[in-house]
Amino acid sequence: MSSDQQPLEALAQIVLNNLENQHDWTETKVHSQANLPRQLIYGLPPNRLYVHPDEQIEIIKAEKDLEKPILQVPEFEWVLPLHLAEKWSLAEFAAVFDAIDAVPPPAQDPASESGSAADVAGEQQQQQKLWKVPKRGKRLLLATVQNDSTVTYYWMHDGLVKPRQN
Amino acid sequence: MMASSGTAERQVRISRIAGRYLVFDIDDVAYIRRHHGICAVFTGTMPQNPTQNVFLGLPVELYAEEAKLLVDKKAGYIADDLADHLSQLKALDPAARAAYFQSLKTQRRNAQLVIDEDKAKSLARHMERRKAATVQPDTRPSEVAAEAPAIAEGDSLFDAPPTKRVSPPVAVAKDQTSLALTPTTSSTLIVPQPTSSAAIEVPSSYPLYAYLNQRGYFITPGLRFGGDYSVYPGDPFRYHAHYLANSYEWDTEIPMLDIVTSGRLGTAVKKSYLLGGQAPEQDPVVGSEKTSGEVRVFCIEWAGM
Repeated sequence: MSSDQQPLEALAQIVLNNLENQHDWTETKVHSQANLPRQLIYGLPPNRLYVHPDEQIEIIKAEKDLEKPILQVPEFEWVLPLHLAEKWSLAEFAAVFDAIDAVPPPAQDPASESGSAADVAGEQQQQQKLWKVPKRGKRLLLATVQNDSTVTYYWMHDGLVKPRQN
Repeated sequence: MMASSGTAERQVRISRIAGRYLVFDIDDVAYIRRHHGICAVFTGTMPQNPTQNVFLGLPVELYAEEAKLLVDKKAGYIADDLADHLSQLKALDPAARAAYFQSLKTQRRNAQLVIDEDKAKSLARHMERRKAATVQPDTRPSEVAAEAPAIAEGDSLFDAPPTKRVSPPVAVAKDQTSLALTPTTSSTLIVPQPTSSAAIEVPSSYPLYAYLNQRGYFITPGLRFGGDYSVYPGDPFRYHAHYLANSYEWDTEIPMLDIVTSGRLGTAVKKSYLLGGQAPEQDPVVGSEKTSGEVRVFCIEWAGM
């Protein structure tokens, strides 16, 4: 491990600890790749973290038809560790997005996709699957670390993604 | 997008005045709003109440980006009134000048004739009425004074002005035909000409603007949310803004704190913070330095964790 990589390693470690211990993420892993400017992290949050507003509308409609809530299964997410004092250019962000797939590696093999939404009607399940893979845009969590080791998380989407209606 | 209707040939006149791009024609304003997704900013206030600054009217002020977009789409042209004025007035040849001065004199003479005629008519009418009024009561003898009856008799005070005022201008006007009118505008001398060849200096955020406009987004100034643009998914009358957009150069280093604070602000107002810019061209063609790489945008929201 070269010495200039060490601060980045430490940064990733802080974020990893925070994810696991403060936010109860599981299956977290540090991800290295040759064409990435730094290590990323991916993992499984305890709850589903992001629902696209269009999908949310579909879910609400489907729930109305089914007359019962649809279970939201958490999805694997990418995390980019950053320090608040850093400066990043558009070029660097673009490089990260170009290097990753929309879905982190463990979710890509169908074996890990446990059918926990089995109680959902077949058609709705298909709809939900659509949002999981083909319709899912590239997104990652910017994990900004401050000097007091506070970590705050922001979604960053590649391309025009409309805001969620909170 | 929407600009494929029958009004495609319309040319919007964009006046460049003191470095600002203004549109004065309400039809043009409606046209660019409907067909080009440009709502721009109303800047005109009322001359009688210049402190009124909430409900503004014409003219509409365009961003340089918007003006350039319209000119590039061949939907408008820049009219540089100052340059037009100077060049076209200087270009008049002596014969045209003489003809113009003559036309001013003729105008004046014609106007004078009309006024004289009117005055003569009203004078005649008043004389007649006064004659009738003085004859009926029979308080005075046959002699009709020039002004005494009008003042003496209460009922004719208002409809009979003193004749003293009426008479002199008639006499003077006859010898003053050599005077000319002095018009307060040179508009009759100037033929509006498109000078769209004049380069429009746009800020570096133009590629982002064009990218968003091309996708049907409406853009208004973004200062109220601390960005370059507020971006609406449709006409701002109907929608709330979706994004606060900031444009950056491809290699500009953006402090994370800016991203975090803008992201927070955006989420607080239910918007997404958009940062974007144009990538340099991948393989530049030899000889052309133009950067026309793709525009990349990233949207940031608070993750809620």
